[in-house]
Amino acid sequence: MKECIAMLLAGGQGSRLYALTQRLAKPAVPFGGKYRIIDFPLSNCVNSGIDTVGILTQYQPLVLNEYIGNGQPWDLDRLYGGVHVLPPYQTATGSDWYKGTANAIYQNINFIDRYNPNYVVILSGDHIYKMDYGKMLDFHKENGADCTIAVMEVPWEEASRFGIMTADENNVITKFEEKPKEPKSNLASMGIYIFTWEKLRKFLIEDEANPASDNDFGKNIIPSMLASKEKMVAYHFEGYWKDVGTISSLWDANMDLLNPNVSLDVWSDDWKIYSRNSGMPGQWIGANAVIDNSMVTEGCRVEGKLIQSVLFAGVKVGEGAVVEDSIVMPGAVIEPGATVKYSIIAENVVVKSGAVVGERPEDMENVDDWGVAVVGEGVTIGANAKVGPKAMVVKDVKDGEEQW
Amino acid sequence: MVKSNTDALGVIFPNAHDSLVPELVAERTMASVPFGGRYRLIDFVLSSMVNSGISNVSIVVKQNYHSLMDHLGSGREWDLTRKRGGLNLVPPYAESNVKLYRGRVEALASLVEFLEDQKEEFVIMSDSDVAFNFDFNELIAAHVASQADVTVMYQRSVIPQGLKEDNYTLKLQDGRVTELLTNDYRPGVQNLSMNVYIIQRESLIAMIKDASIRGLLYFEKDILARNLELLNVQGFEYTGYTARIADRKSFFEENMRLLDPKNLDALFPENKPVYTKVHDNAPTRYAMDCHVKNSMVADGCIIEGEVENCVLFRGVKVKKGAKVKNCVLMQNTVVEAGAEVEYTVTDKNVKITADKKLSGTDTFPVYVAKGHTV
Repeated sequence: MKECIAMLLAGGQGSRLYALTQRLAKPAVPFGGKYRIIDFPLSNCVNSGIDTVGILTQYQPLVLNEYIGNGQPWDLDRLYGGVHVLPPYQTATGSDWYKGTANAIYQNINFIDRYNPNYVVILSGDHIYKMDYGKMLDFHKENGADCTIAVMEVPWEEASRFGIMTADENNVITKFEEKPKEPKSNLASMGIYIFTWEKLRKFLIEDEANPASDNDFGKNIIPSMLASKEKMVAYHFEGYWKDVGTISSLWDANMDLLNPNVSLDVWSDDWKIYSRNSGMPGQWIGANAVIDNSMVTEGCRVEGKLIQSVLFAGVKVGEGAVVEDSIVMPGAVIEPGATVKYSIIAENVVVKSGAVVGERPEDMENVDDWGVAVVGEGVTIGANAKVGPKAMVVKDVKDGEEQW
Repeated sequence: MVKSNTDALGVIFPNAHDSLVPELVAERTMASVPFGGRYRLIDFVLSSMVNSGISNVSIVVKQNYHSLMDHLGSGREWDLTRKRGGLNLVPPYAESNVKLYRGRVEALASLVEFLEDQKEEFVIMSDSDVAFNFDFNELIAAHVASQADVTVMYQRSVIPQGLKEDNYTLKLQDGRVTELLTNDYRPGVQNLSMNVYIIQRESLIAMIKDASIRGLLYFEKDILARNLELLNVQGFEYTGYTARIADRKSFFEENMRLLDPKNLDALFPENKPVYTKVHDNAPTRYAMDCHVKNSMVADGCIIEGEVENCVLFRGVKVKKGAKVKNCVLMQNTVVEAGAEVEYTVTDKNVKITADKKLSGTDTFPVYVAKGHTV
């Protein structure tokens, strides 16, 4: 048996990332130069001593499945335990997609029971943070809790975007509201739960039997546990945590890596973030390159100007090209003389010579029209074409054309 | 049965030519000498073998092989963790009355039983002092076509200074080797052996057994050179990119040569990746106001100062105000604030303290040994 296993919810479409998630699930979206989002919760599990992880997939799982593989990059290739990708499946009585987060776990009760764990950690595949789940589990045990929810204080004005907890002086949760209009507290749920498995199992079965339920943790399981007076406690987390479910938050979180004042540190050796390796040679910086406050990784070739940007494996920035305040994902080519500003360029995009993608907010007539420009996977932006700020490009743009 | 793999097994000699670079191999083998930012020399021949479909490789180690074992692990990074074949590390038997291997024949003698149990038709033997990216199927095809007993890979090259007392050259007639010269010192371009051989497994076993009985030590001098009339030994000219490490100077120069993207493309073609041990370093961070020109940088570095014409290995730190020019800095070297370093090779875990000045020349770069603080 295992004391504690983790279940990672990775089935979300990530529709707000639109151009980036046309062909891959949100947790597989590249992040921070050599990672994918899912590397953060997976590495947290391993670093916390959790060696059994079920990954619940549903939407566009191909890239994610291939990426996870046998789990070796995260040291999760184990004889007993390890990482398992769990898609919905058919049973003798029919088949169902995962109807909600709780239903996804419900459908995998048998998987969890195989390990007979005392505790189960429920995680999301779309958050960037470093956290020791072991400490949270200690807290759960010390409090004799049935459910522990990781929370952090958020600015009051943003509180209505989150699931908000009210807790007493002993951290016992007294109230939970999903995205309240008038929040009574600024303790936001981080979407990280530890349950005593026996309890969760019971509530999952009851929830499934209720046809009116959305089978969702936030909407159903947590409120019904509260209503049944189960012991639920809030675990305060301090440190960096970001939901990267939108274009602007994904861009922000990447830029946070370039900000020395932000506490997200991927360079320290004591809590490594693991990822599948590109196997490319070192990055090459040309004789005329200008490079400032940026992150660059294996296989990159930089001959142009790179300011305040994150390049992923194998990206090429040609001579005279300018890349500023942007994120350029694996294999993309920014040809000589092209300009990319405030943009997210997805995998294997080609931005041809003289093309301009995105714009600085300062250069806008009306700042309200500004946003990060996004070019989807495999798209070619033709020579001298222009892609406006806030644009979401999923099809090739021909030479000299404009797209807004 | 479908033959998805190449019908050859590999044998690599990681300690060959150790004596050429005494400083670099103080705590390692030639095969585990760091090269090209994130690699060890053995990665090149090993990856070439794997990319050629060879999935059975023996590494015949002799001494100082801890760093090599640490690097290779179970062979997983090269896809050599196999039930059939895979990576086979062969250390010498530690027996009080047995000396360490001298020549290749003695080293191979310990492999005879293993070789007898294998199924592959050919054996490809290689040292690891030359970095190249090669499809061994070309060598196999040439060997089969010429019906040779042994085929030797060579390149047309001037004999490097460092190899004056450690080389073999070939005299050829219509592709057949008529003379095999030891420690050739003639000036000009010669047929310089790359010490890569292909031979039928059965014939290799017979040769080793025979040589052992007669107390012969050297495969080249004692077996090939003396029997060129009996044996059909063919030369195979390799014309691709090579980086041969013959001394400290060539180690420096061969690293520097990779700053030319043409050379980088030649050694690292996109469809033939070079595998190495993964360290899970974060990407390299170029801090505000850093200056980096014409350099190759591995992951995990943090660059705050000035870097020009350098090869930086994984995890190197160049602090604010530090200046590094024409240097090869190996893994985890730290150059502290205000230090100025030129024409220097630092081994792993070296620290250059604040405001120190260190300067060699292009023909004689300064070398700082592993773990030292300057």
